[in-house]
Amino acid sequence: MASDTEQPQPGGSLEDELLRRKEEAGADYEVNLESLSQFQLAWRKFRKHRLALVGLGILATFIVVSIIGPLFMPYAFDDIPRPDKIVHAGRGPSLVHPFGETGGLQRDVLMLVVNGARTSLIIGFSSMLIGVTIGTIVGAIAGYLGGFIDNLLMRVVDVMLSLPTLFVILIVARFFKDQRDNVWSIILVFGLFSWMGVSRLVRSLFLSIREREFVEAARAVGVRDRRIIFRHILPNALSPIVVAATLIIAGNIIGEAFVSFLGFGVNPINPTWGNILSNALTFIPLGNWWWPLFPGLAIILTVLAVNFIGDGLRDAFDPRTRA
Amino acid sequence: MGKYVIRRLVQAIPVIIGISIVTYAIMLMAPGGPQQRFSQNPRMTNEQREKFVKAWGLDQPIPIQYGRWIGILNPDEEGVAAFIGPTGWPNFLPTPISGAENGVLHGDLGYSIDSGSHVGQRIAQAALPTLILAGFALFLWVALAILLGVISAVKRYSFFDQAATVFAYVGFAMPTFWLGIMLIFLLGQRQVAGEMTGFFPISGMIDTRNSPPFGSDAYWAYFGADPITAIKDIAWHLVLPVTTLVVVSIAGDSRFVRASMLEALSQDYVRTARAKGLSGRVVVFKHALRNALLPVVTNIGLEIPFLFTGAIVTETIFSWPGIGKLTIDSITNFDYTVLMGVLMITSTLVVLANLLADILYAFVDPRIKY
Amino acid sequence: MTEVLSAPSTQGQPPARDVLLDVRDMRTYFHVLDGTVPAVDGISFQLKRGQTLGIVGESGSGKSVTALTIMRLLDIPPAEIVEGSEVWFDGREILSLKIDEMRKIRGNDMAMIFQEPLTSLNPVFTVGDQISEQVQLHLKAPRREAWDRAIESLRLVGINSPERRVKQYPHELSGGMRQRVMIAMALSCEPKLLIADEPTTALDVTIQAQILELLKTVQQRTGSALMLITHDLGVVAEMVDNVVVMYAGEIVESGTVHEVLLEPRAPYSMGLIESIPTVEKRGGRLSAIHGVVPSPFNLPPACRFQPRCPFAWDRCKTVAPALYPVGSSGRRARCHLHTPEGAGRLSAALETHRQAMTVGRSLPGGSH
Repeated sequence: MASDTEQPQPGGSLEDELLRRKEEAGADYEVNLESLSQFQLAWRKFRKHRLALVGLGILATFIVVSIIGPLFMPYAFDDIPRPDKIVHAGRGPSLVHPFGETGGLQRDVLMLVVNGARTSLIIGFSSMLIGVTIGTIVGAIAGYLGGFIDNLLMRVVDVMLSLPTLFVILIVARFFKDQRDNVWSIILVFGLFSWMGVSRLVRSLFLSIREREFVEAARAVGVRDRRIIFRHILPNALSPIVVAATLIIAGNIIGEAFVSFLGFGVNPINPTWGNILSNALTFIPLGNWWWPLFPGLAIILTVLAVNFIGDGLRDAFDPRTRA
Repeated sequence: MGKYVIRRLVQAIPVIIGISIVTYAIMLMAPGGPQQRFSQNPRMTNEQREKFVKAWGLDQPIPIQYGRWIGILNPDEEGVAAFIGPTGWPNFLPTPISGAENGVLHGDLGYSIDSGSHVGQRIAQAALPTLILAGFALFLWVALAILLGVISAVKRYSFFDQAATVFAYVGFAMPTFWLGIMLIFLLGQRQVAGEMTGFFPISGMIDTRNSPPFGSDAYWAYFGADPITAIKDIAWHLVLPVTTLVVVSIAGDSRFVRASMLEALSQDYVRTARAKGLSGRVVVFKHALRNALLPVVTNIGLEIPFLFTGAIVTETIFSWPGIGKLTIDSITNFDYTVLMGVLMITSTLVVLANLLADILYAFVDPRIKY
Repeated sequence: MTEVLSAPSTQGQPPARDVLLDVRDMRTYFHVLDGTVPAVDGISFQLKRGQTLGIVGESGSGKSVTALTIMRLLDIPPAEIVEGSEVWFDGREILSLKIDEMRKIRGNDMAMIFQEPLTSLNPVFTVGDQISEQVQLHLKAPRREAWDRAIESLRLVGINSPERRVKQYPHELSGGMRQRVMIAMALSCEPKLLIADEPTTALDVTIQAQILELLKTVQQRTGSALMLITHDLGVVAEMVDNVVVMYAGEIVESGTVHEVLLEPRAPYSMGLIESIPTVEKRGGRLSAIHGVVPSPFNLPPACRFQPRCPFAWDRCKTVAPALYPVGSSGRRARCHLHTPEGAGRLSAALETHRQAMTVGRSLPGGSH
């Protein structure tokens, strides 16, 4: 999907478009060339991307809910509100429990979803940061130095990409199962297995950018390698990395949910959208659809939102699209 | 062509060696390590235990342990002599030459810590159900992704295309396991107020009330007696897991095919084909699709790992007795040897699948020089 | 005798039997985001069997769209073939044909050669596959026979050892060879009309001459009519009987190749011809037509060439010129110079042109 170049027309009706062109035609050239930084320009384009704005809205809502939600909830996620009235199969959505109650422990699904948001989002974002950092460093070194180092690092990437990632993550995550609070271990594991794509991307960007004139000019006046990488090349490589990062967030949120669903991920003292489902499979044949449905929808909405933002960013950073 | 294949095979060797190192390293990181786990297993006989210790040399330095596990080093020798196999040839050569039988290179994946059985055997047993599941899924996945993508491209911006776009976005965002759960609720057979409802079985690959366990000798006898019923039974059990795997997989790929197809349809040679008087069907499915599929071939090769992880997910949810289930069980029980074997085999298969995709690409694109 | 434009034939009635192609008041508009582009805006011309016709104009003048409209290869929408347009081909009106019927004509009775031989050939099929596919389709020939015919047509276009070439892929051939393959493909079903859209533009100069020579000989040998679309007046001079000059979607002049090239009567054709560098004009300033082609969204209200025309006067800004007859030979030009109102200015204009052709200086009226 990342390679899909045919996105539906981002935002802007026909009238907008015509109006904009009219303005452009009439506008003073000097004004048009007013110095906009790369990011100001990107933001201007991003704002026109309707789906991306929707995505941003959804994500912001989830973040706010994950922070302040638990404070306003009438009881904690692991409370068993009505121990006296346990119905084995759980109860469907009602006014008091709009997302229903789980089977077994009779927990409120809404509570679980709200409380799960925080850890799931933290895992998605933090593991992305780790992955992108490692990937950028590895890719930058490989692309800038070239030669033997490049070859070696890229073979390592080949190896890592050949391993069925989720599978390895499952195994490694299992190692940390015995820690009580293992959120950061899980983040680390996901981070360590999500850098390969970024490193390939950064490497290829470096290979093309380092041949460009401005890098040669910097080198000619004696700028050191590290400075060339961080001051001259990286800023130019930033936009594709940001787009790739959104895909990693989406992938890791889903991945964490799966690992935790299987019981090898985050321990239930920290609810996530995955581990709150770990017993749901048992109750599904009893008709308990509300238990998996709502956490699943939360995952889908979040991933959709992140993907929309990614699409918006890609268009925004694409110099071929117009502001 | 032959040269190209050989060159690519040689290039794959360092990657496979790397995989074996990473696999070994992961297992070394495991808390407690295999030794602790192994010493606690009451079900292993002394003989097995000795053979295990000998084959693995758990008292040896790690590089030597690795060398023996992979099969470069002869476990009966020490020092430089360990590189030489029983017949005097280097130990890593195939068994008929070197006489060596230890290590991954010679097909020896060791013994399961948990059950004491041959890892190779356990994997072989689990492989068939996974191949059935993954094979069907792969076939449907590729066929449907191409079909959806082509129709979307040809009828761009139509209702169908827009519906396919929505489907792709949502499908792409959907966790496989969640889809499996929801399918069980919607279509699976379950009891509601004492009555059986739903259409498809939700667990296993055969109806255990009527047939012996899959893979056993009794099963094959049963299969031979009435293959049609047996195949029907498996097919019926396949519906939900295959659907789960396919829906999520085709979401992204249909978009990829669509983009590739749109690109092909805008090319001059499509106009030439139409100018020749060919029908729309021939233009789309012969001239454009043949070109559009070139990048798709590579893409699908790269997505083979996803098929494995997808299979783990689906097998777990639907209790499909394949590699995925074996993996999950082994993870639960810290059965390192089985996990190493599974990792080694699946990763090697991934490498080979990518290789195959490259070769296929070179085969279908006449412009590629070998 | 050189009736390039339609004789006053009645709409809806077939033309005379010797007329192979009769285009009548054809309009092709494109509906795009910014509005409507009248890419072809009411053109009419005829092509007799076995004859050659050149369509000349700058890029954007609508000459390629003319060809694609006749072949019905445009996507509708965004294109629209305006109601009232007629194209009679071989006694039938083809714009109203069912698409299945049209397919039987395409590649069979009417074939087209495109500008870019590399991208116009499908990279994943052999040359033989691509030619024999067409033969199998239209001549209902069995596979083997079609293959033999592909070899024959490759031989016809002067390709050495066609038995070997027929099994090759387009990327294995040189540019000139590819264009020969395109021609062989177009000729494989012996079409009555061959449309060549800038067939030599993408080729080396030395190869260009060979390909033109080839087109000429095969056209003569097979007896098909040829519609040659080009911006290159040199090509026109060598190849065609009659010429149509297009500007901004309209025909501005038509006549025999001698008339139009030697005695152009529309200011646009004059400018085109003056801008050809020749040895005689050496040392003088190379003349060019001033200004740029008008935006299709913002065409001048009356004469579309008026903003660039050195002879324009008030009338040209208010009254759209028609295609007026020039002389008695049937040639026509779209310019008010050929009306009684412009008669006074005509001789001056012709004199200016004559001088430009001999001493080579820029047209008067240019602003710099």
